[in-house]
Amino acid sequence: MAERNTEQIEKIRDVVAQDLLSGRIDLLLGWEKGHYWWQSRPLFARSKKDLDKLVWDPFCAVNLSRYLPDELKIHSKVGVLVKGCDARAFNRLLQDHMVQRDRVVLYGLPCPGMLDYSRLAEEAGGNLVGLVEQNGRVILKTDSGEKEAERKDLLIEKCRDCLYPNPVVYDQMLFSPQGEKSAPERFKVVEELENLSAEERFAYWEKELSRCLRCYACRQACPYCSCRECFVEQENPRWQGRAYQTSENFMFHLVRAYHGAGRCIDCGECERACPVGIPLQELNRKLIKDINELYGDYEAGLDAELEPPLLTYRPDDPAAFSEK
Amino acid sequence: MPRIGIFICHCGSNIAGTVDIEKSIEAARGFPGVVHVDEYRYLCSELGQDLIKKAIEEHNLDRVVVGTCSPRMHEVTFRKAVTEAGLNPYLLEVANIREHCSWVHKDIEKATPKAIALLRAAAAKAALNDPLVAPSVEVEKRALVIGGGIAGIQAALDIAEAGYIVDVVEREPSIGGRMAQLEKTFPTLDCSACILTPKMVEVAQHPNVSLLTYSEVEEVKGFVGQFDVKIKQKARYVDPVKCTGCGICYEKCPAKTPSEFEMGLAKRKAIYVPFPQAVPNIPVIDRDACLYFRKGRCQICAQECPPQAIDYEQQDQIIERRYGAIIVATGFDQMNPSHYGEYGYGQHPDILTGLEFERLFNASGPTGGKVVRLSDGKPPKKVVFIQCVGSRDKARGMNYCSKICCMYTAKQAILLKEKVPDAKSYVFYIDVRTAGKGYEEFQRRAAEEYDVAYLRGQVGKIFPESDHLMVHGVDSLSGKTIEIKADMVVLAVASVARADAPEVGRLVGINSDSYNFFNEAHPKLKPVETHTAGIFIAGACQAPKDIPETVAQASAAAVKVVGLLSKDMLQGEACTAEVNQAECSGCLYCEAVCPYSAISPVEIEERYHGGTLKRTVVEVNPTLCHGCGSCTVVCRSGTINLKGFSNEQILAEVDAICLQR
Ligand SMILES: Cc1cc2nc3c(=O)[nH]c(=O)nc-3n(C[C@H](O)[C@H](O)[C@H](O)COP(=O)(O)OP(=O)(O)OC[C@H]3O[C@@H](n4cnc5c(N)ncnc54)[C@H](O)[C@@H]3O)c2cc1C
Ligand code: SF4
Ligand code: SF4
Repeated sequence: MAERNTEQIEKIRDVVAQDLLSGRIDLLLGWEKGHYWWQSRPLFARSKKDLDKLVWDPFCAVNLSRYLPDELKIHSKVGVLVKGCDARAFNRLLQDHMVQRDRVVLYGLPCPGMLDYSRLAEEAGGNLVGLVEQNGRVILKTDSGEKEAERKDLLIEKCRDCLYPNPVVYDQMLFSPQGEKSAPERFKVVEELENLSAEERFAYWEKELSRCLRCYACRQACPYCSCRECFVEQENPRWQGRAYQTSENFMFHLVRAYHGAGRCIDCGECERACPVGIPLQELNRKLIKDINELYGDYEAGLDAELEPPLLTYRPDDPAAFSEK
Repeated sequence: MPRIGIFICHCGSNIAGTVDIEKSIEAARGFPGVVHVDEYRYLCSELGQDLIKKAIEEHNLDRVVVGTCSPRMHEVTFRKAVTEAGLNPYLLEVANIREHCSWVHKDIEKATPKAIALLRAAAAKAALNDPLVAPSVEVEKRALVIGGGIAGIQAALDIAEAGYIVDVVEREPSIGGRMAQLEKTFPTLDCSACILTPKMVEVAQHPNVSLLTYSEVEEVKGFVGQFDVKIKQKARYVDPVKCTGCGICYEKCPAKTPSEFEMGLAKRKAIYVPFPQAVPNIPVIDRDACLYFRKGRCQICAQECPPQAIDYEQQDQIIERRYGAIIVATGFDQMNPSHYGEYGYGQHPDILTGLEFERLFNASGPTGGKVVRLSDGKPPKKVVFIQCVGSRDKARGMNYCSKICCMYTAKQAILLKEKVPDAKSYVFYIDVRTAGKGYEEFQRRAAEEYDVAYLRGQVGKIFPESDHLMVHGVDSLSGKTIEIKADMVVLAVASVARADAPEVGRLVGINSDSYNFFNEAHPKLKPVETHTAGIFIAGACQAPKDIPETVAQASAAAVKVVGLLSKDMLQGEACTAEVNQAECSGCLYCEAVCPYSAISPVEIEERYHGGTLKRTVVEVNPTLCHGCGSCTVVCRSGTINLKGFSNEQILAEVDAICLQR
């Protein structure tokens, strides 16, 4: 069991319960405990009673904004708890016209970063039964005793290089913001891959992508995947071959990555969703890096008013492609 | 299954020399859906077209692929041929096996399989071609000319004479352009004003012409036959109806500022006409120089104006009009040669550009027509002309030859001798270029009868020394250094595109070359057309040129416009975008990238879980769509598709090339 952050949870409950009662929202997207104590899954709360299940703990990694487009089809106003990445995802959806700002109430949750069960278990050594957090340290409880570790070493991959733990858009901020963050290693792996020869790079991705099951979990988790019919499912033309082979996996991942150029908000949900552990964030970050280098710094999802670079026409655009 | 016929053209030896026609025919017979294959020496000829028409009939073909030159060249020809045989023109597909194959390869062994692949791709696409119908577009029988230099004037006159209405938009307060700044004109030395002013008056008075001076084009939308244009007419602060052109206002105005027309060599008033023969002869107030606008006091012009035409409250006007065709005739500029440190331009009043020197001859110019040094008012006795300043200079200037400088330098040397009989001219040149009727003779006269010394070589440095300019050069024929104690130096600087040419190009939707001169559609065969239908170019905005050439081009552009306006209807674009609204997610990315504002959001109702749901999708306005395809690339789900170039068709081509190697 993770120690419950009762004070914060009560505060969230108070605020959203009132809004549910007053009709300001008719659904709240939050988190509840999943099958295991180290899992938190989306909660769809329609009543005050549903809120009893609400949690806010170091396992609330799921990006809730992703559920908005569907929920808005059946609810007129939806409240969402947003961490930094959920808020950026909201901006993505807003820019893609998938949500309407006035039909959503955003409750901002500054995020300390979520914990990775596999890292916790590894660090604990024995059978992990619970944890307690204390001043940036985590006390891991096992059958045989306790073990302490640095919190930052136990973060899930997507939180390690997170630059924006605080919601960039919200109607109501529930707690005081986290301090400024830097992410010096955000593009480290990308740079390493860039330094490989084309053959080495191909071999690397061939190895990684050969594992892809084409379950499309990455797409389902992604806030930029908002097509009504994904190209992989289209019959006419049939972009995506049905054969289960690496070249077809390449087709899927390359096209998907390109669809995220200038749009990916770097929330890492795809990679987290992947059941076979393909490092999808490396592909996305390569495109983020390229876009920044070609068109100037742009961080998707930070500001819904800022035109995405690939939808912008400026006479003084650097003609980087023709120069090379 | 479609019934495809493939016809391969030899194009003399253009294609047949590098592509094995026999082998190509053999291969083509095996393509899916192909029921007939033939070849011909010149498929575009009458006989070639007949061959196709007959085959359509005999073999009941419903798709035709021609393996020929670029579709730019002959797509129209072959579309017409298949139409005559009863097929929809869009059921024809061109495989470009000339420009894309035979012309770029030497090895028949390699070019042949490539030609076969291109044919196979075209056949695969043709199988998916749908009959398309181009919408008809009504032609607005009014033309717009942008730029009122000699090019714009001539074009407008020709269009007006043919009976069509034409508007001329000129940025400056008067029409006339550069020609109005010239004194006399080579090769006949008739005075520029004497031949230009009558034309200016004629165009102003022509019942079919409206002059919109002191105006600029702000926006161009639409397409050939129906360009919707917004024109900003800047406030003159003078009522054009009341003004009689008496000129008392600018006589009395106390505020002075450098004159643009005189290139800063003289001053003008805050209320002014740029030059005495200005058309229209209606002054404008320059807000930045006017004491009343700057400080709130003065109003002398308003007090002095007999008909009380001054109106400080006048506002800029936006005029919105529809035009069937547009001619761009925005002219050229002179390069500022300050970066050529060795010539010292800008550092000494007696170092001038050719156009500045030209003004010294003019009776209404800065010196009242006396050719004198601006430093001390004395007539120059030794004048050094330097050619190709910034022209033919890859490193610091333009690669091209400015074409007019050799001639106007000869002209100016002659004029100088006439004004200052004891003057001596020296011309430093790389070589003298005088192609043109009467041009060589003219330049010879300068050298032989007017004592002009032509020195082949370059000037290395010019130093002011007491009241002279010491010119140090090298005679490249003898290798000797030359020193001339000159009174004046005239730089024949490069003619360059106007600084705002790229902007004007973007506004009207035409492109420019690397020097920002507007591109013609074909360097030989379409010299006044552009790649945008309905937009034409004339004059020095296309490349440096002299008056005869400018006028010829202007008349040519006018003929094209008249031809266009004489039609009541035009065929619009058949290959336009279409949306599958059921699959459209309504992200509106396509709307953002469409350069022609052809896409707009619409709300639709849809069934959802028993109820209905409103949601936003897009629709395409086919009359606004140019078929550029930008939307189709930005649409991630491939929901918006270009008719005639659908995702399916393109993919079929790719597959046809990739899957069979
Ligand atoms: C020093 C010199 C001497 C010359 N001597 C001779 C000679 O003796 N004989 C000869 O044949 N040729 C001579 N020429 C060449 C001659 O000047 C040109 O051939 C001629 O002026 C070209 O005319 P044009 O109408 O194309 O351009 P321009 O004369 O440049 O006219 C263009 C017009 O368009 C207007 N304009 C520009 N941009 C816009 C805009 N965005 N919107 C609205 N209006 C706009 C300008 O204000 C101008 O009025 C000489 C040139 C120079 C520099
Ligand atoms: S093809 Fe698409 S982007 Fe291009 S003009 Fe038509 S609708 Fe606009
Ligand atoms: S880009 Fe595609 S999905 Fe998006 S609005 Fe346009 S047609 Fe619809």
